[in-house]
Amino acid sequence: MLSSAKHNKINHSAFSVSSSSSSSQGQNKSQVTMEEVWKEINLGSLHYHRQVNIGHEPMLKNQNPNNNSIFQDFLNMPLKQQPPLPPSSSSSIVTALYGSPLPIPPPATVLSLNSGVGFKFLDNTDTLVASNPNSFEGSARFGCFGKKRGQDSDGSRGDRRHKRMIKNRESAARSRARKQAYTNELELEIAHLQTENARLERQHEQLKMAEATQHQVKKTLQRSSTAPF
Amino acid sequence: MTSNVRDPLIVSRVVGDVLDPFNRSISLRVTYGQREVTNGLDLRPSQVQNKPRVEIGGEDLRNFYTLVMVDPDVPSPSNPHLREYLHWLVTDIPATTGTTFGNEIVCYENPSPSAGIHRVVMTLFRQLGRQTVYAPGWRQNFNTREFTEIYNLGLPVAAVFFNCQRESGCGGRRS
Repeated sequence: MLSSAKHNKINHSAFSVSSSSSSSQGQNKSQVTMEEVWKEINLGSLHYHRQVNIGHEPMLKNQNPNNNSIFQDFLNMPLKQQPPLPPSSSSSIVTALYGSPLPIPPPATVLSLNSGVGFKFLDNTDTLVASNPNSFEGSARFGCFGKKRGQDSDGSRGDRRHKRMIKNRESAARSRARKQAYTNELELEIAHLQTENARLERQHEQLKMAEATQHQVKKTLQRSSTAPF
Repeated sequence: MTSNVRDPLIVSRVVGDVLDPFNRSISLRVTYGQREVTNGLDLRPSQVQNKPRVEIGGEDLRNFYTLVMVDPDVPSPSNPHLREYLHWLVTDIPATTGTTFGNEIVCYENPSPSAGIHRVVMTLFRQLGRQTVYAPGWRQNFNTREFTEIYNLGLPVAAVFFNCQRESGCGGRRS
């Protein structure tokens, strides 16, 4: 039954696992299923791309040996590592995500974060697939919550950093504008000097020609009128 | 402006922060020592200590021009709350001559910025006739636009700017 559950996990029957775990009486049984779920989480966290081709059992075996990562580590991972996936694949992660706190007592913070977003998915499995984009957004928010909670202590630090960043951006923009303005000016000058140079050269040529012809004219002797005294 | 958006006066935001868009119609040559000022040229306080030689174009000696020299980036470009600082004001300059033939209303004060890289703008305006211009009470918080409105100078006929920073500045480059 476990192996079949493992196989079917990705195809929507993930919540069958979680529901079975939620309704499980024995702690042992839930822990075993939990381990499956945790493995799936690790798999999901580290092999996102492969999860698109879901349903291949061999993929399940390519699991991260690091099964000791706690749930919070998964939640605290940077947001980038949670790309949008097609609904069929995301459902497994989502349910794994939300399924896990039920059988075992979750850490207090996780529970509070979950309560707003997660539990309703478990109650209504029909809405699960439809609300998958929201679920990722919810899980994405987990990363932000940590920051928002500590806002009081390092809020001013964040503000100052933000202001500094804006100032730096403005300074960089001014620097770029300065450089660009000077470059444009030089280009304009070059163009201007080139045309002037061409003009002066032509003028010089013309003057040289004029002088040469004048010189030639002077060389030939000419008869000029003589006074008839 | 006759020149397109790539005009250095626009790219550097001189047109915008200090002046309104205009078309150049009179030549303006500003020379500090041997250096002729081109837009965006980097000059240090030591190089601009004395007033420059200014030669203006035009044709009719009966036309008079006003030269305004301001620094819009005081006290620092990132926080210019004293914009603009009036460095020099010369009126009644006859066409084809220079500032030496004009009326120095506000005497030349050499730029010496302490923070950041400042733009220093020199603008030429055409006067309607010879007119009496009153010097402002102080140099900072000058407003070129307002000044031109008060004295009916209209749009500029020429302008040039350079960049000035403290003597030991890195030139805007870190390495």
